[in-house]
Amino acid sequence: MTKRQLSDKPDRMSVSAYLELLMNLTRREVMGRYSQSLFGAGWAIAQPLATMAVFTLVFARLGQMPSDGAPYPMFAYAALVPWFFFSNSVTSGTLSLVTYRNIVTKTYFPREIVPLAQVGSRLVDLGAASSLYVLLMVYYGVAPTVWTALVPVFLALLLLFTLGVTLATSALNVFYRDVSPVVQIGLQLWLYLTPVAYPLSAVEGYRPFFLLNPLTGVVEGLRAVLVFGREPEWPVVGVSAALIAVIFVAALTLFKKTEKYFADVI
Amino acid sequence: MPTAIQLEHVTKRYRTGRARTVVDLVASSVDSLRGRNQDVHSATRGKISSIIKALNDVSFTVPEGAGLGIIGRNGAGKTTLLKLISRVTWPTAGKVRVAGHVVSLIELGAGFHPELTGRDNVYLGAGLFGLTRKEIDRRFDEIVHFAGVERLIDTPMKRYSSGLYARLGFAVAIHSRPDIVLVDEVLSVGDAAFRRRALEALRQLITDGKTVLFISHDMWNVRRLCSQILWMEEGAVRAHGPAGEIAERYMNEVNLQALANQETALQSHRGGTGEVRFETVELFNGAGAAAAAFEPAETLVVRGAYTATHAVERPVFQVAIVDVDTGVIVTTASSVGAEMPAIVNGAGSIEVRFAHLPLRPRQYVLRLSITDAHQLALYDQVLAGPRFAVIGKGGGVDSLADEQDGLVSVPFEVRHRGLEGLGS
Repeated sequence: MTKRQLSDKPDRMSVSAYLELLMNLTRREVMGRYSQSLFGAGWAIAQPLATMAVFTLVFARLGQMPSDGAPYPMFAYAALVPWFFFSNSVTSGTLSLVTYRNIVTKTYFPREIVPLAQVGSRLVDLGAASSLYVLLMVYYGVAPTVWTALVPVFLALLLLFTLGVTLATSALNVFYRDVSPVVQIGLQLWLYLTPVAYPLSAVEGYRPFFLLNPLTGVVEGLRAVLVFGREPEWPVVGVSAALIAVIFVAALTLFKKTEKYFADVI
Repeated sequence: MPTAIQLEHVTKRYRTGRARTVVDLVASSVDSLRGRNQDVHSATRGKISSIIKALNDVSFTVPEGAGLGIIGRNGAGKTTLLKLISRVTWPTAGKVRVAGHVVSLIELGAGFHPELTGRDNVYLGAGLFGLTRKEIDRRFDEIVHFAGVERLIDTPMKRYSSGLYARLGFAVAIHSRPDIVLVDEVLSVGDAAFRRRALEALRQLITDGKTVLFISHDMWNVRRLCSQILWMEEGAVRAHGPAGEIAERYMNEVNLQALANQETALQSHRGGTGEVRFETVELFNGAGAAAAAFEPAETLVVRGAYTATHAVERPVFQVAIVDVDTGVIVTTASSVGAEMPAIVNGAGSIEVRFAHLPLRPRQYVLRLSITDAHQLALYDQVLAGPRFAVIGKGGGVDSLADEQDGLVSVPFEVRHRGLEGLGS
C-alpha cells in the first residue's frame, strides 16, 4: 500500500485518466448531438455548405466581391469551416459548465475538461466538414503545394484561440448569465469583421484594425496555404499568433482562478 | 492510525440574493491578482447584502479506516462538509486536508448520461472519479454484477428505473479504488435488498482500511456503520464522539424538541359522538409533577378529565401508548381491574398509572377513547393525544429505540455455555 499524505490540493488525475475522460465527455457530446437525428454528422457539413452558397450568391454574384482569383465558393468555404468550428465551440462552450452543473456541483474533476470537451466535439465537425473541402479541391482542380503542409500550424492556432475564448466565456458565464447572449451577438458581428466572406486585401485601409482580430491571421494564413498554395503573410500570422498566446494564457489563468467558486454560484 | 481527513478552522460562506455585478468581479479580480483577499464571496465590499455561513470554524480529524457518521438537522452544514472534502467547493477560510483518493456519492450517477448505455456510463462515471480505461476494464464485471444490471448493460440508461440508475451509480463509485468514500443520504433510493448490500459494501471498505463518511438521518444505519458520529448544528460541530453516545444525545434532543412544539389542544383527529368527552389529558411522573419526558422504568401517570353531558351507563375509558411509525404498543381499559361507577354524569377524571414504563427511548403518543360497555358506541376518540418522550440516560440496550431494535424494554439475561457445558 502506498503511503498517503494529507494534502489540501485536489487529488491529481493521471494523464491517461484525464485524456480518457476528455475523450469520453467529447463522445458523450457528439453522441448526444447526433444520436437521434437522421442526418447525423451531415449537419456538420450542411452549416458551412449552406452559408457558402448564400455568400457566393450575395457577395460574389451580387456584390462582385473579389476572391483574389480563387473560385469564390472554395475561397469562402475554406474560411467558413474554421469559422464555424470557432463559433460553434464558443457558443456551446460558453453554456457548458452551466449545462453540466449536475456534475460540477456533485463531483470533483478538473473543471476545464467540460469546455474542452465542447471544443473537442466540434473538432469532429471540423473533420467532417473538411472532407468536403477535399471534394471542392478536386472539383475546381486545385492541387496542393508545399505550403499546404502548413495547414496543421493554422489549425493549431485556431484550436488554441478557440480553447482560450471558450475557457474564458464558460467561466464568466457561470457567474453572469449575460455572457451567453453577449457572446451570441458578438459572434454574429465577428463573422463579418473577420476576412471570411472577403479577403484582407479588400479592406487594406483598415488593416491595423483587422490585425487586432486573431482570427484574421488564422483565416488568411489557412486560405493562403490551402486555397492559393502560397506563402502566408508572416507578419499577419505573427501578430495573430502572439495575440492568441496572450489570450490563451490569460483565459486559462482566469479559469483556474475562478473554478473554485463554480459549484457555489452555478 | 494515520489521519485521512483533517479540517482546521474551516468556514464556508455562501452569498445569496442579488447576483454580483461586473464591477464586483473586476474589483475582486484585482484584489486576488494582488494576492490579497482571495475570497470572492467576502462581504467586505459592503454592497453585498446577505451571506449565509454554511460552516463556521469547523475542526475535526478522521483517522484512516474509520466510519464517521454525520448527523444533524437539514441545513446544519452536513452536505457542505462533504463538498469541501471532495473539493467540489473550497473553504472561505481554514484548511481542508485529505489523504488519498476521494470518491463522493453526493448524488448517485451524477455523471451519467441518459442517452448512453450502461456500459458507456460505467466508463464515463468511473472516468470522472479518475480511473483509466484499463482500470475500469478490470473492474467492469464486478461493477455490473454488484449493481445487478447484467441484462441491461447495453441499454441506454434512460430506460433504467431510478433504482437501477442509483445502483449502477453506487457500484461505480465504490469500485473506483477510493481511499475515502463520502455518502450523502443516497441509500434511501434503492430497495431494501440493495440498501443492505450497499451498507455491507461500505462496511467492507471500512474493514479494508478505507475511510467512510456517512450522512444519514437513519440512526440505525449510522450506528451500524460508524464507530464515531459528528453532530452538526447550524454550521458548527455540536458534538463528536462514540456513535452510541452521540446518537442517543441527538435523538433525546430531537424527541424533546418535538414535544416542545406539540399542540396541547385535543382537537386534531377527534372522533366520537360526544356523550362523554375528555376535556384535558395531562401527564405526571411518579412524584406527581407534570412531565413530558421520562426515563426508562420511570412512572408515567395519565390523567384525563372528562365531562358526560347526561347519565351514561358503564363507559369504558381506554388509554393506549402508540408509536407513530409502528403502531399501538400498550393498551389499557378501565373495564379491566378498575372500580368504575355504574353511571357517570357531569365531570370526573380517570387516571392510568404505568408504574415502570417499559419503553425504550423514543417519542410516543397517547391515544384515548371512551366507549360504551360493549365497546360498540364510540363516545370520544383522541387519536393524537399528548406526546411524551422516553429519554435515554447513557448507553446500553436502552440507549435508543427504533423499528429494528424494538421499542419495549424487558429485563433479560443471556447465558452462554461452551461445548463442555452441554456434555453434562
